[in-house]
Amino acid sequence: MNTGTKTPVIEVRDLTKAFGHFVAVDRVTFEVERGEIFGYLGANGAGKSTTIRILSGLLMPTSGQARVHGIDVADDPERVKRSIGYMSQRFSLYPDLSVTDNLEFFGGAFGMSGRPLSKRIDTLLEQVDLIHARTTRTRDLPGGMRQRLALASALLHSPPLLFLDEPTSGVDPSARRNFWRLIRELSHQGTTIFVTTHYMDEAEYCERIGLMSDGRLVALDTPANLKRTFIPEPIVRVESQATDLDPILQTLRADPSVVNVQTFGPALHVRIEKREPEPTERLRQRLKDAGFKAHLQPIEPTLEDVFLEAVTRK
Amino acid sequence: MREFVLRTSALAHKEALHMLRDRQVIFLALGMPLVLVLLFGYAVSFDVEEVEVAVVDHDMTHASRSFLARVDASDAFRITAYPASAEGAEALFRRSHLKAMFVVPRGFQRALDREEPADVQLIIDGADGTTARVIEAYASALALFTTADLISSVPTSTPLFEPRIRMWFNPRMASAVFVVPGLVAVVLAIITVLLSGLTVAREWERGSMEQLFATPVGRLSIILGKVAPYVGLGFLQFLLILVAGAYLFDIPLRGSFPTLVLAVFLFLVAALGQGVFISMATKSQQLAVQIGAITSILPSLLISGFLFPIANMPLPLRIVSRLVPARYFIACLRGVLLQGRGLSTLWPQILGLAALGIGIIAITTRRFRRRLD
Repeated sequence: MNTGTKTPVIEVRDLTKAFGHFVAVDRVTFEVERGEIFGYLGANGAGKSTTIRILSGLLMPTSGQARVHGIDVADDPERVKRSIGYMSQRFSLYPDLSVTDNLEFFGGAFGMSGRPLSKRIDTLLEQVDLIHARTTRTRDLPGGMRQRLALASALLHSPPLLFLDEPTSGVDPSARRNFWRLIRELSHQGTTIFVTTHYMDEAEYCERIGLMSDGRLVALDTPANLKRTFIPEPIVRVESQATDLDPILQTLRADPSVVNVQTFGPALHVRIEKREPEPTERLRQRLKDAGFKAHLQPIEPTLEDVFLEAVTRK
Repeated sequence: MREFVLRTSALAHKEALHMLRDRQVIFLALGMPLVLVLLFGYAVSFDVEEVEVAVVDHDMTHASRSFLARVDASDAFRITAYPASAEGAEALFRRSHLKAMFVVPRGFQRALDREEPADVQLIIDGADGTTARVIEAYASALALFTTADLISSVPTSTPLFEPRIRMWFNPRMASAVFVVPGLVAVVLAIITVLLSGLTVAREWERGSMEQLFATPVGRLSIILGKVAPYVGLGFLQFLLILVAGAYLFDIPLRGSFPTLVLAVFLFLVAALGQGVFISMATKSQQLAVQIGAITSILPSLLISGFLFPIANMPLPLRIVSRLVPARYFIACLRGVLLQGRGLSTLWPQILGLAALGIGIIAITTRRFRRRLD
């Protein structure tokens, strides 16, 4: 092992995967460092799952290279599988088996048995807070608990690298927060985590984010840097009691320093040219003059802003 | 090696849990053999008893009456109609339960007296081919015995032979004794191919196969782990049918039981391998059931020697039948149960079963890619 320089846990170079004429992953290049939470963000069908499956040794790359722990996944997928945990997009544990039956089975699949396995199962059940449900059949578990059980089954053999494919899809918000608390704990303990999601708020938890669109990696950086790069202008959030936001929107668009106005639910996000010193004050005055009652507040751009910008810019 | 055993047994254990928790599987696996044994044992019968026949006597002599009396007295036939002529035979067959008609021509006695061949016409309703053939066989046997008697009752008798037929292994010629051993093979083939096909396809459909591929479990482990619990279940079914057959139809066990156990084991491996192969290729439960049903029921029923002798088949079918595990298994079943044979004479069949079992497992393992593309 090379101790002096940090070797990346995942190295991907010009990775391409085509299914017939459809190119699911198109010349993607990135690296993931040890202990990092790396988020892969993109719409459905953008190539996120395909990338994860290649890195987990489940799919052969069409061209390019993918190394996990320094092992080329195309050469030796079996060695890769031993050192990773994989949680697929679909819940794929056995619904007719109990929580411990499932864990015992996947432990056996990784060659574990006897006391070490049952001790490991106890530890994990404690960690994911499922001790009380150990004899429950999996089909009777609510969504959030299933997700945690699936996570536990991917962690049985204590893999240093964890692949999570849309782990929180279809789970209620509080269960999602719970799940992410677990993921951050794991990361603190040194586990590298590669996670895909289409929830923008979840992406904020990641240390670095890759934005995928139509198989291409269109941006890659920390959430803060992505915002700085893609949305350099200040953003002002405009909220109003008015039922029709349209007149306000028209007034804002008429302002020469406003770059663009977008509707975000009940509010408007206004991007303003950078050189303006006190944009919020001036806009507030302007709306007041026009006779509108509105609440204005400078905000940080969200990753959703970044994502929309990155996808349209490409 | 230790890891291989660990992984395979983890898979087998999990599979056994699936099986034991699925009431439908247990019901299907243990209920269906009993239903089929009853159905086949009682319904599939080649025995012909008390067939209703018509007789037309144009001769009206002592000899003709004596012959027809014997027809009526036999277990096989019962005379229920005496039409004046054979003219209406066709309509008679259509309207009634009559299956055949004996017509004794004029001059029957005269021919016998001169020790010349005396013809009796037999008209059989051929709509039911199996019954027709059995009637034909009974009738000619009857004619043979009767002729011997009639001629010997005539003063100028010449030395005559008298055939004494004895059926070995199945003295009463009961169909069930013949059918039930073959049925063991058919029932085991159907159920094991279907069940093993379902379980693998289910993993594909649920997405758990993907999760399984992400572990270091090898393909042979997956296949053997899937097959093992069903071998156990298959043995249970086998014993069930055997016991039911012994109680209900007096099926004997005359030969070497260990040989039979070996044959059952090899047959189960081959049939289960077939099911796993089908569901790996189809990846869908519905398709696996359809293809599994066709490829297990038809060959083991039609070209295994169960219902029709293989020797009577055209050459291409005889060749195909060599790939049907039920063919070898049925030979072993009848050999051990009825004929009292053992490994010393049944080894070619055992070898055939072993070759098919190992072959299908090897092909399945080779074709099985632990990848999603």
